[in-house]
Amino acid sequence: MRDISLIIRRVWKSAFMFTALSVLIVSATQAQDVVEGRKIFKDKCSSCHQLDRNSTGPALTAKMNELDEAFTIKWVRNWKALVDAGDKQAIEAAKFSPSEMTTFPTLTDDQIKNVIAYAKAGEPKKEGDAAATTATADTGVSDFSIAGIVAIILISIAVLVVLGRAIKMLERLILQKRGVVLTEEDNVSLVVGVRRLFKNKKFVFFFILCLVVSLGSFGWMGMWNTGVHTGYQPVQPIKFSHELHAGTNQIDCQYCHSGAFKSKNASIPSVNVCMNCHKSVQATEKYNGEISPEIQKIYTAIGYDPATLTYDKSKEKPVEWIRVHNLPDFAYFNHSQHVVVGEEAIRKQKGLQPNEPVCFACHGPVNTMEEVYQFSPLTMKWCINCHKDAEISGKDNAFYTKVIEAHEKIKKGEKITPALLGGLECGKCHY
Amino acid sequence: MESNKKYWKGLEEYKNTPDFVENNKNEFAEPLPIEDVLNEAGLSTVTPRRDFLKALGFGLGAVTLAACQTAPVHKSIPYVIRPEEVVPGIPNYYVSSFNGQSVLVKTREGRPIKIDANPNSGVFNTGTDAQAQASVLDLYDVSKLHGPVLKDDEKASWAKIDEFVKGELNKAQASGKKIRVVSSTVSSPSTKGVIADFAAAYPNTKHVQYDAVSYTGIIKANENSFGKAVVPQYRFDKADLIVSFGADFLSTWISGEEFTSQYVANRNHKSLKAGKMSRHFQFEAGMSVTGTNADTRVPVKLSEEGPALITLYNTITGNNLAGASLPNNVTADKAIKLVAKELLQNKGKALVVSGSNDVSTQILVNAINSAIGSYGTTIDLDNPCKRYAGNDAEFAEFINEMNRGEVAAVFILNANPGYDVANAKAFADALAKVALKVSFADRKDETASLCDVIAVNHNYLESWGDASAYEGVYSIVQPTINPVFNTRQAEESLLIWSDNAVKDYYQYVRNNWDKNILPLFGKTWKEVLQTGVFIAGAKPAGAYNFSLSLAAVIPTILNNSKSLAKDIELQVYESASMRDGRHGNNAFLLELPDPVSKVTWDNYIAIAPKFAEKLGYKEFDIVSVKAANGYTIDLPVLIQPGQAQGTASIALGFGRTMTGKAGNNVGKNAYPFVSFSNGTSKYATTVQLTGTGRREELAQTQTHHSFEGRNIIREATFTEYKKNPAAGSGNDHAKHKTYDLWPAYEKPGNNWVMAIDLNACTGCGSCIVACNVENNIPVVGKEEVRKRREMHWIRIDRYYSFNVEGDAHAEGGHDAHGTGINAVTKEKEIAHLDNLDNVSVVHQPMLCQHCDHAPCETVCPVLATVHSSDGLNHMAYNRCVGTRYCANNCPYKVRRFNWFNYWNDSRFDNYLNNEFTQLVLNPDVTARSRGVMEKCSMCIQRIQAGKLTAKIEKRPLKDGDIKMACQQACSANAIIFGDANDPESEVSKALRSERIYYVLEEINVQPGIGYMTKIRNTDTTVQA
Repeated sequence: MRDISLIIRRVWKSAFMFTALSVLIVSATQAQDVVEGRKIFKDKCSSCHQLDRNSTGPALTAKMNELDEAFTIKWVRNWKALVDAGDKQAIEAAKFSPSEMTTFPTLTDDQIKNVIAYAKAGEPKKEGDAAATTATADTGVSDFSIAGIVAIILISIAVLVVLGRAIKMLERLILQKRGVVLTEEDNVSLVVGVRRLFKNKKFVFFFILCLVVSLGSFGWMGMWNTGVHTGYQPVQPIKFSHELHAGTNQIDCQYCHSGAFKSKNASIPSVNVCMNCHKSVQATEKYNGEISPEIQKIYTAIGYDPATLTYDKSKEKPVEWIRVHNLPDFAYFNHSQHVVVGEEAIRKQKGLQPNEPVCFACHGPVNTMEEVYQFSPLTMKWCINCHKDAEISGKDNAFYTKVIEAHEKIKKGEKITPALLGGLECGKCHY
Repeated sequence: MESNKKYWKGLEEYKNTPDFVENNKNEFAEPLPIEDVLNEAGLSTVTPRRDFLKALGFGLGAVTLAACQTAPVHKSIPYVIRPEEVVPGIPNYYVSSFNGQSVLVKTREGRPIKIDANPNSGVFNTGTDAQAQASVLDLYDVSKLHGPVLKDDEKASWAKIDEFVKGELNKAQASGKKIRVVSSTVSSPSTKGVIADFAAAYPNTKHVQYDAVSYTGIIKANENSFGKAVVPQYRFDKADLIVSFGADFLSTWISGEEFTSQYVANRNHKSLKAGKMSRHFQFEAGMSVTGTNADTRVPVKLSEEGPALITLYNTITGNNLAGASLPNNVTADKAIKLVAKELLQNKGKALVVSGSNDVSTQILVNAINSAIGSYGTTIDLDNPCKRYAGNDAEFAEFINEMNRGEVAAVFILNANPGYDVANAKAFADALAKVALKVSFADRKDETASLCDVIAVNHNYLESWGDASAYEGVYSIVQPTINPVFNTRQAEESLLIWSDNAVKDYYQYVRNNWDKNILPLFGKTWKEVLQTGVFIAGAKPAGAYNFSLSLAAVIPTILNNSKSLAKDIELQVYESASMRDGRHGNNAFLLELPDPVSKVTWDNYIAIAPKFAEKLGYKEFDIVSVKAANGYTIDLPVLIQPGQAQGTASIALGFGRTMTGKAGNNVGKNAYPFVSFSNGTSKYATTVQLTGTGRREELAQTQTHHSFEGRNIIREATFTEYKKNPAAGSGNDHAKHKTYDLWPAYEKPGNNWVMAIDLNACTGCGSCIVACNVENNIPVVGKEEVRKRREMHWIRIDRYYSFNVEGDAHAEGGHDAHGTGINAVTKEKEIAHLDNLDNVSVVHQPMLCQHCDHAPCETVCPVLATVHSSDGLNHMAYNRCVGTRYCANNCPYKVRRFNWFNYWNDSRFDNYLNNEFTQLVLNPDVTARSRGVMEKCSMCIQRIQAGKLTAKIEKRPLKDGDIKMACQQACSANAIIFGDANDPESEVSKALRSERIYYVLEEINVQPGIGYMTKIRNTDTTVQA
């Protein structure tokens, strides 16, 4: 499968480059990099600005459409200077909120333009978003290359039509030179044309070939990915942002998912864990002094009244999260086995940075996920590939020292992988 | 040297009936249903092409539509406030007590899922019985009431009930009439305290205790003989010679599990290695679990038990009491005279017990025990057993009181007299005359339905409390789950109704322990909650001398005997699985095969083969059993080898009518056969049998699997063993060189194996229930068991063999293979038909042998069952497509096929088919779907968990870290599990024993489970 997709990609790349370039010229007005802009926005602006509504700062999409770009660049870089200079527009704008906006003197014009482009364009669609962040992971043939196949087919048809016309023209010229009188069919009806087209053996062959290839690859992809939910990103009852908590605020994974290091379940934190911080953190600054509606959902779940600071046990109502990572019931997976016992091997195998938690190996860059999606395919093949390749050192674990001593193969210098220690046997995960 | 005994599983196999031969050819007893379909409708009708296309089109369309559905959304709902001690995915353990025995309860996410023995509870409480194992299912019983009931109002509030009961109590108090608290024996000091406090508030109160299966005879006899009205503490471990007259002490008698550990301590592989083995004689009418384990078992009629004991007494003491003759049982007479001699030789190291509930008989037994010096050694009267203190006479008097209209209020606690007393009807009629009738039952059972108020009690897993099984032994009951329904602990109800100063029962127990019990051993309450059981210094067991005259008791014994000898003598006995019937709705127990007859879901009337022939009944004929009091029930006949001629046996504990979905109308109630005379309940009576012409096949697991006459049980006598430890095992001479068809598997890390000591296994079946609970094994119901579709991963095969004098090694010899296959020929078997009375029994636990060259693995077309590098045979359910080739190819017949989704099928609506009961499932084990094979996984979830713990703790795996569920439940420690790669492990040591043999080792499948030969301490001169 991968071979075919690679070939297609390779062919497609050269062919598509041409069309892409021409498209690029046409759409030169959209040259600003929205993705880059989004990144900067998330990094620097999002703690105060939302695109679609006012928070600490004004809703950016509307504001950007309203404001002149040159002014915005100056404003962002140092709005205080503008105000001090007595710029009327700036003085007016500064009245929006009592809290002062941070200045960003280091941002380049292009960077600010990118942010403006992003703010104007709005949030890209979810799927594209997911695809963009998972582009590094090899997930077989992406939507992009399927589009490529379609493009090839279209271009091929166009080329065929043009060539066909040219040949016809040449034939006619030759015939005319030979003095054959041709009856001009000026008003060839479309039906006759199509019928004639279908009598063309080359065309029919090519058409059928394309059809078989495309249907075949669609079918194959469809079956291959049945039950694979990579990128699954359900809408959760509370808009909890891992990006904010794990990314911006650098909260350790274990603070909430405390089971991961002890139990088979990483476990979703109970509401009382949220309350440890959110009793005081209420994000009122973003909601004009009101408690964030999302944080309010925590209070509702635990029956807490922020006005009186009291809990009402009778009003407790657990939060019904949507499970993102679903393993079938017949597969046993234990978090502690992987993040405690196998941590070192997994880090090495997945090439994690020392500052990244081991969880990232399978769950992906959670610290950049606004809403969590399924990063890894969670298929058996995926499990097994890692079990085959990951190297167990077992140096400071007496359990492994004893097991390793017993293995003849290891003494011969074979790499110690979970597979070698029986990690591929059915019953190790299915019971 | 092989024994050339012939073993057989059931009479069909023994006689080789045509049916059996026919069935034997098929792997599955029932023809496959698909064949029926094809034979009847399918093949004879023409399927029109259009219909076929329609069906095809519809099918395709439906499948496509179904496939269009997006992936199901799974919700994940965390706690609102997570309890500090709960980590989802990690079990918590709490100590508690079941039936007086200290147990350890495993809970997951706050729900109890497994019960095992508390490791702190002492030397002889190493395992649990099947009832304790199964008791966790009672918590999740859908047939329980959801809240208290006041006069059929199931929505009554507790406040209303309190108001009503208090009002009635005050009326009763004012009228001066009697108030009675009726219960089975209460051993709990705190419950006793509550009842005493209640009696203090209402001075007309009396506590009446009775036990469905009564020990009043022993209590009264001890009162009479030694002035101590107690059930003594028996010490089978101190006895080198045990003589039992109808006491099933390894199963139902007093404290079967504990006695099993004690008994086996002198008979297991360790004891044999030390050259020591106790000797056990059993004289009994029906074949009991204990009888099957005896070295010598002599069938004795019920009417002969009295004379037999008199004979024994006379022979030991040289007295000459009247009636000491057994004119119709020469074997027993000879045996008893020999036993007497041996008892005298073993003075102080011997024990005589009797299962009789007759005071006179027990006084005679006391006299015998005194003569052989048992008091102070094998019988301890100073640290008595407190589990049974029921008084039959008091209960009889209580019925009279009610009939006389003297009783105004009755409270029924942990008892079901509407079902389990001799004359339940008389009780019901008398109860109707009482103004206030309160039951503390958890369901509307036979008694509760007669009451005005059902003050629904907690399950013991929801309760606080305590227990005291023996004098000075105290154990705690602590809740392991919040009350599921709107229930209230019975003690708390009593505290509230008596306006006690302390109304919270937890506080009451706490106060009681702080004040009365903790000072006995200087521990804190916290330590009690952790340890569960404490023993406050046992008093030295005093020696007692029987010095009374037996003149008064002998005539009573002889009269009883005479009145029994008239007709067919019927013995009603406590069923090994259902016991007295209190767990009547427990599907695990209902499907637990009787250890001897292997019958599930029913009781039956057991008759000896020759006697049945004489009466003209065949197996499964339904006969009408009519007692002298007119009570008649229809029961199927079970032909029971070893049953005494002229006797019949019927199990108690069946025939519940109001216990719940699973247990209602299973079997027939035998309690009305119990009679009351001379102050105690009698479990022997006479009946008449008449044929009904009907027939009903019992759901037996016994003959479902045949072993084709192969030499799979190996046996030797103790004398032979002493000469040659390898006797009978086939290990004492050179074996054939074997050749392997397959390359050997490498097992570099661990090699999980098992050793099973056939001399320790008593066949009780608690391992079966433990395995059910641990591995989510479904209960399939009577109809399915008849179709031989029971799902038990471990079964206990019971093999009969003859006791033929001088025949053991005289002829036949052994074949060159040393496997004994050729030892017995068909011609010889038939010649022994006459000896069906005198059979001996071997129990053999049979489970997946995890063969190294597993025949199942090579035939699986989808590689769903494969070998692992640690010696196990894995079964991947999600790969299995259900061809069942593996079951067909398994020589041990241990693979089970899921014919249905037993947990989600309205046809099996007795057990798991509801979300509430499904809470009992072990979350670490998959619930298997229809159409897949399953079998013993060697508790792989426990192996994996054990390894993970060691990995996290960064230490090598230790022997004993991992225990199998069956091993943990086994009181006899008959099952030893461990790593064969560790030469120092318990199992490696056991497997080095000379007694080890492998079942069907001649077919070279290289099984991973070694069995140790059965050793019997027989003396050939005693045999028939």
